[in-house]
Amino acid sequence: MNILEIKNLVKDFGGLRAVDTLSLFIEEGEILGMIGPNGAGKSTAFNCIAGVYAPTKGDVYFAGKKINGVKPWNLCKKGLARTFQIVKPFRTKSVLYNVMVGSFVTTDKTAVAEEKAMNVLKILSFENKKDERAGNLTIAELKRLEIARALATEPKLLLFDEVMAGLRPAEVDEMVQIIKKLRDQGITIFVIEHIMRAIMALSDRIVVIHFGKKIAEGPPQEVASDENVIKAYLGDEYVVS
Amino acid sequence: MTRKNINTSAFILLGFVAFGLPLVLRSPTYLHIIILLYLYAYLTTSWNLVGGFAGVLPLGHSAFIGIGAYASTILSLQYGISPWIGMIVGGILAAIAGILIGLPTFKMRGAYFALATIAFGEGIRVMVENIDNLGPLKINGPRGLQIPPTHIGFGNYMFAGKEPYYYIILVMLIGVLALTYFISRSKLGYYLNAGGEEPEAAMSLGVNVARAKLIAMAMSSFLTALAGTFYAQFTLYIHPKSVMSLDFSFEIAFIALIGGRGSIAGPVLGALLLRPVSDFSRIYFGSTLPGLHLVIFGTVLILVMIFQPRGLQEPLSKFYNTLLDRISGQTRQGEVKHEYS
Amino acid sequence: MNFILEGTINGILMGSIYGLTALGLTVIFGVLKVINFAHGSLIMVSMYVAYWAIIFTGVHPYIALIIVVPVMYFFGYYLQDIIIKPIFKAEKDVREPITVIIVTTGVWYILDNLTLLIFGPQYRSIQNNPMRGKMLEFGDMLISVPKLWGFVTAVITAFAIYWFLQKTRTGRAIRATSLDREAASLMGINQFKIYNIAFGIGTAVVGISAVTLVPFYNIFPSVGVLFDIKGFIIVVLGGLGSIGGAILGGIIIGLIESIAPMFMTATWAEAIVYALFLVVLFVKPSGLFGVKYDW
Repeated sequence: MNILEIKNLVKDFGGLRAVDTLSLFIEEGEILGMIGPNGAGKSTAFNCIAGVYAPTKGDVYFAGKKINGVKPWNLCKKGLARTFQIVKPFRTKSVLYNVMVGSFVTTDKTAVAEEKAMNVLKILSFENKKDERAGNLTIAELKRLEIARALATEPKLLLFDEVMAGLRPAEVDEMVQIIKKLRDQGITIFVIEHIMRAIMALSDRIVVIHFGKKIAEGPPQEVASDENVIKAYLGDEYVVS
Repeated sequence: MTRKNINTSAFILLGFVAFGLPLVLRSPTYLHIIILLYLYAYLTTSWNLVGGFAGVLPLGHSAFIGIGAYASTILSLQYGISPWIGMIVGGILAAIAGILIGLPTFKMRGAYFALATIAFGEGIRVMVENIDNLGPLKINGPRGLQIPPTHIGFGNYMFAGKEPYYYIILVMLIGVLALTYFISRSKLGYYLNAGGEEPEAAMSLGVNVARAKLIAMAMSSFLTALAGTFYAQFTLYIHPKSVMSLDFSFEIAFIALIGGRGSIAGPVLGALLLRPVSDFSRIYFGSTLPGLHLVIFGTVLILVMIFQPRGLQEPLSKFYNTLLDRISGQTRQGEVKHEYS
Repeated sequence: MNFILEGTINGILMGSIYGLTALGLTVIFGVLKVINFAHGSLIMVSMYVAYWAIIFTGVHPYIALIIVVPVMYFFGYYLQDIIIKPIFKAEKDVREPITVIIVTTGVWYILDNLTLLIFGPQYRSIQNNPMRGKMLEFGDMLISVPKLWGFVTAVITAFAIYWFLQKTRTGRAIRATSLDREAASLMGINQFKIYNIAFGIGTAVVGISAVTLVPFYNIFPSVGVLFDIKGFIIVVLGGLGSIGGAILGGIIIGLIESIAPMFMTATWAEAIVYALFLVVLFVKPSGLFGVKYDW
């Protein structure tokens, strides 16, 4: 079964059509990447899935059930988690505290949440920083914290919104390994990314968005050589015909 | 002795002192002052559930004191119902009011929220001041209600000396502190903190921020109303300007802020530090230099906000922790850091 | 019928003065995005300044503007510079620092009670001024002269501020800072200097409003409290940062206050004002003319 399915999604902001009749699906256990020039509508589509916006038209299905307009916290309880492009840590609290907030989705007891949070930190090789104040972390560590928190909610589908932005190449490679590890644990992953080397290395399939519309879909190599994609990113002159 | 043992011993010692105080301190005047001190500590700690944990600035909390005071007083004066029961009724009414107020206001941003709570608080006060009778209920407008000191006895929440009142408010204070402690370490506490700091992130992590805030508000208003009944039974006279005034609301909020909102000890510390200043300057300078305590208040408030915006509990608790470390030779280990404050 | 017309006119006049008192608040809020809880106290201080200026020089109250306006401008300028700026710098990332609300409340407590300490609680008023108690007769209606002067002053001041913000360089800098402080500072505008100036101007306008009040209003240490809350209500009603909104909001309040008591007690009229305030907050928090901020 497809864990996520979007049918003819449209999102309008007043007169601006940010997402235009977008349809896609993600199979369970896949890593789907979404790329596109800035302003193409990627984050808007994400936010429609994640419950931040209600779609203007069209439907979003999670594990077969329609989730249009379902609130973010309820989506999280159903198994859909996300990270934010601009990280939003709870700055005055420790790393462990931050992750525990996520763990509480699956339990009511603090001791259990603490244990689960520690396990998540261990998976991400982050447990040495558990008492560090979140506001004092480096950007790479903050991105890792974003992932840890989302992971703590025990999601079936994880949405990553430009989680590599601001990282150095070595850190990017590290992050790719972490995300692959998560997939091996059985989590389906939907990534928006600008950093090509990361998304090419990660994705089973890639969807390309431009002006809110899907202009290409397929395995990374195919998409990279697609005429429309090259036109969208670099302009007509670069298409080799 | 381990660090934890020293900490626990200190609290037990404090408990002994608090419970034994009336046996040593016989002067009713001083006992009265300390009772009011505990009352303020109770009020600020209850306020803290919303103003500290939920991260907003409610400036109309005295309305709940009023609801509690009037509910139990009307029920006992007109219908002979024990103020203890009236207290619970008042608490429930206040909780409902709190939720009704919270529903539309929690969506607003900080400054608007503060203004809305002021408007609610003042609006309720103005209405009570204007009503003499609400159907069969006698409210008496600005003149207020007096409780005749007959029917002494526990069932009537009325006592001859000050000592019973001392113990009641002390138990209430300990209760509300314990509640705050347990909430801060519970799922609700984590959710409130998260929702207060980064609501968007919290929501994506499964936190229904609005609901958590409403729960905190309901608790806070319920507890605050209980103090209203205490106040009514202790002073035997309530009127809108004494139990529902803007000044009262502000005082509670600012003591909590100076002490340090969001922390457990902060509001109590604030009361411990500021109430004596207020009492002292009122007693000794009340006639010669009226309003001096408010000037001091205002100055302290500004200085604290500029230099220690998270309240005086921050340097004080650091000091206490260093002291504990030195004495026990250990440091704080293995605890989830709840307050970097 | 004339009774109601008289009430309406006086309500509009008094309301315009309320609007004038709120004008300073809206300028400060529009630029700094903080609610200045010391607003009422600033009105009170201005009234005392005006009072002493008039008593000592014996001039017509409105001449006192020459003293009051610059004095209050600098008072506001340095209040912002010394007390509020440190908070802004400490809470740079927060879009609207709540701590400033707390600090300005401290200023309120200090100013009000210091005044009480120094000048005592007695009510003062300027008995011998040429405007006190003067009424204009229109048929059988009596229109208050000092309030008429106030109305004219309010309108002139509102236009002056509007012109200043639209046409002068500093004014444009102020508007730029209020829209996006970071972008403005990237354009070479010193945002903290702008805050000081905006606060100074707001307080100077408060000074002007005090001068209009002094001919007929009593002066005492807690006089500001009444105007404080009213000021916030007006500013939210009319829309934060909107000049026309402040004057209009003031007029609405003035009308309610003068007409409602004909049909109900004065305190119920007060309750109506609070209720109206809450309705606006819930339904259209940006007010009648306010710009919708993304908060």
